[in-house]
Amino acid sequence: MSYYFAIIGTQDNPLFEYDFGTSKQGGDGQPRFSEQARHLNQFVLHSSLDIVEEVQWTNGQLNLKVIDKFFTNYISCFMTGGNVKFLLLHQPTATAGGANTTRNSTSVGANPTSPQTEEAIKNFFTEVYDNYVKAIMSPFYKVNMEVRSPVFRQRVAAAGRKYL
Amino acid sequence: MQPPDDAHLTQGHPVQPLPMAASAMRQHPKTRQSMPPPTASSSSSHPLAQSEPSLPPLPIRDRRSTPSGAASLFRSTLTTPPGSRSASPARPASTVSMTGSVFGNPASAGGASGLLKQQSLLDTDAADNPGDPLHLMLRSFVPHVAIHGSADVDGLVKEKGFLGGLWELLRPFGERVQGKVTIRDSNGAARAWEDFAVRFVRFGEGVEEPVGVAAAAGANGQPPSEKEGAGSRRPDLIAQVETVVERHLGFAEEAYVGSAPSPPMTPTRQGLDVDATSPYYALYLRRLLSGIPLACHESFAHPVACVMAISSRHPAPIEALQKLYRETSQGERSLPPWVDGDYLRYYILVHDEENGDITKSMALFEQMKRNFGLHCHLLRLRSSQSAETDDDSIPLPRSDWMTAAEELADIEESDRREDFEDPTRYIFESDATAIRTFVREMVTQSLIPTMERNVSVWNDQVASRRRGISGRFMSLSKRWAFGSSSRNSTSGGSSSSSNYDALGFYRADSPEAIMRRLADFAFMLRDWKLAMSTYDLLRGDFQNDKAWKYHAAANEMAALALLIMPPNMSSKTRIETINQMLEQAFYSYHIRCNSLYGAVRCTVLALELLRLRGGSGVDESVRWGIRVLESKLMGTVGDALLKERMAICYASKHGAGSQLWGSRRRKSALWSVLGAEAWLGQTKYVQAQRCLNEARRMYALLPGECGVQNFGVASDFLAHLNDQLRAGLRMDVAYGEEHAGDGQGEAEVDEESEMLDNKKSRRASLIGPVGGGAGLETAPLNDTKPARLLEGDEGAANDDGFG
Repeated sequence: MSYYFAIIGTQDNPLFEYDFGTSKQGGDGQPRFSEQARHLNQFVLHSSLDIVEEVQWTNGQLNLKVIDKFFTNYISCFMTGGNVKFLLLHQPTATAGGANTTRNSTSVGANPTSPQTEEAIKNFFTEVYDNYVKAIMSPFYKVNMEVRSPVFRQRVAAAGRKYL
Repeated sequence: MQPPDDAHLTQGHPVQPLPMAASAMRQHPKTRQSMPPPTASSSSSHPLAQSEPSLPPLPIRDRRSTPSGAASLFRSTLTTPPGSRSASPARPASTVSMTGSVFGNPASAGGASGLLKQQSLLDTDAADNPGDPLHLMLRSFVPHVAIHGSADVDGLVKEKGFLGGLWELLRPFGERVQGKVTIRDSNGAARAWEDFAVRFVRFGEGVEEPVGVAAAAGANGQPPSEKEGAGSRRPDLIAQVETVVERHLGFAEEAYVGSAPSPPMTPTRQGLDVDATSPYYALYLRRLLSGIPLACHESFAHPVACVMAISSRHPAPIEALQKLYRETSQGERSLPPWVDGDYLRYYILVHDEENGDITKSMALFEQMKRNFGLHCHLLRLRSSQSAETDDDSIPLPRSDWMTAAEELADIEESDRREDFEDPTRYIFESDATAIRTFVREMVTQSLIPTMERNVSVWNDQVASRRRGISGRFMSLSKRWAFGSSSRNSTSGGSSSSSNYDALGFYRADSPEAIMRRLADFAFMLRDWKLAMSTYDLLRGDFQNDKAWKYHAAANEMAALALLIMPPNMSSKTRIETINQMLEQAFYSYHIRCNSLYGAVRCTVLALELLRLRGGSGVDESVRWGIRVLESKLMGTVGDALLKERMAICYASKHGAGSQLWGSRRRKSALWSVLGAEAWLGQTKYVQAQRCLNEARRMYALLPGECGVQNFGVASDFLAHLNDQLRAGLRMDVAYGEEHAGDGQGEAEVDEESEMLDNKKSRRASLIGPVGGGAGLETAPLNDTKPARLLEGDEGAANDDGFG
């Protein structure tokens, strides 16, 4: 499973981007996106904002769960109070998916729609949200500014390792 | 690219060249130079918001290499929207101009969605829009009329210049029956249809043998091991369609590099383009649907009637007709056992106006009527060939519904022969009138009444029995295999209790086959409710019998009928039901029967209808599109066209409120980008440019107006695509210019001076090609816009991360 996590500002502008891979089941935490998928991920994530805009009015929660699917890419969303969106694109590894679905169907890595995965993503989002709020409390931060803090990046990476 | 000899054809309702193409032609820069023309130098100051739909540069390539005759082969995708059949002689002068069909119904954009909830899709304007898939679908599932003529009739028609015989002469006239055709549905309510059509086919052509029972038995979940028989023909059909569309695209690419971009629209009136179907997509669909084989699992291609023709030259006419009749009912030319033999026989006597004696023919006709009943017609034709120069000649249009194989053969022939002659044929006005009258009379007085009668008889005798409680019980008892021994006596004592023959089909007289015919007739007569309920009954039966191809087809048609008819359940359950049917149809076609053709046809039609339903249907529609792409059912051309279509699907979803919540503009842009990428991969720059423009336009419509430009890799990719596109276009143009230069003795003009003398040489290259450029020169060239639009283009490119 490979992940692409982005924080999207109110003007469809990315505030923070981070690629990583799963650390469960012996994953090394490296993303396994193909070369072509790198730009595609951004397009797909951007296009999911259409769905976010629709779903956000039907759901009272901040965590909107899996909102969209594009071929094998699943997109989960977490709305913050300030109309900044956390989007996580997760893509099951193509080869592992075919062979191991039956055996590992409950594990986080293999099945993007299982309740376990949902729970893990929720935890990830919550932790990132905590850190995000702390990061933007900086007096020098303005709305829609990129989040450049290296500490924040480390903490997102840690959350990714911990839950996904 | 209207050949000059088309004058007759377009009289009274001028076929306009694409307006965008016309205005864009003027302003093409000499793309060989790398510097933008001076007018565009101030472009960077233009804010994106002002950028009109950017008109791309449209350089012209030398067109003397493409003779006007070849152009007429590709006319359907090049000048007129393919479906707008204004050229048909069978159609009264139409007032729908091309722009009319594009812009005619802006109201349908937003307001109609509420209305749509109670409407049948047929009452929406999409049904009347010639290029629209719904329209195409209605035109493809029409009664088939087989034509079986004696040798002397074919001889007479050959003298007129139609080598294919009577069938070739009649075919274009069946594509639209003149005037209104009134049809009664099963409840007795009459409704008049303007656009009824029949399909003339040659008797006994296109028969597809069912896959043997061995394959059918293996189809229990796994794909059949042997892919011979019917399965192997199907990929061919898709491949042929691909090739035809590819040839059309290639011709467009050659004819002019640059494009008529997606239909013009202003940012305030978004979504207009959703009404216009890309001509190539429409062509793809048309060729896909025109080859419905005479198969056992659906009866659309089974003849509803058979026209038996003799001419007045025949020495023993009545005997000849009897012989023709015998040939259709027995002998080796008769149809296979799964086709009902009791179709309508219609007898026509072709009278030779020039050599025949009318009193003799009248007498003979009276005798025919006495012998064969009322289904007779006297068709008076002149036997000499009509030339273009004759006063009363009109051109016979090429059939819209020729199969992919036929068109491919035409194109290949035009390639082979150097002195390609214009394939347009001419007939006398009087002949056209006679044929039109004949078709109308046959359809309204014989064909429709027969079909209506059959529907009501079958409905009473077979289907309604199954609908009652006892019918349900009967099907139950059949399933548990007690009784029902009398009903399967035809199946030759096979062990199962079903009527599903050991050979892998239902015989024509089994109740299942009759019900399938009933449903298909109802569908063709547009009685959706009856069709739907019958298909629904059949679905269960076929599933119990494990007749998977039948099962797939019944599911497919049930879903389509359900989509067309006015909805009466809540939209959610409705979409779930439809999805379930489509799912089963897709699975049965694709996995169980390995019928790619069926799977493609089913999903593509369904996704078009879902799109027209709007709302969440649009999302479903794209979901099905992704299914098709994922299963790799189509070739590269089909994939690219489908991606383009997905973009249009999403663009046709309208949001609510000032922010347009719920619209799908980003999604639409994404698919446009994917489409552009696919087209670039096939070096189809014209199409790629259209897609990129569309993406750019969609991104510009977003609230932030910045699209993906803040996403680094994505905007790099867009810029890369744009560069690739420009390089491709430039390459093409350079090639075209070389050729133009050769012809005009301008070869010595070097690059630099060309750059300085930009405008002049551009004009020269525009006017230069005398051979094929007739249509272009007559285009209303618009002088005012170009510079500004070009700037807009540049501006958009800069602001939008397109490089």
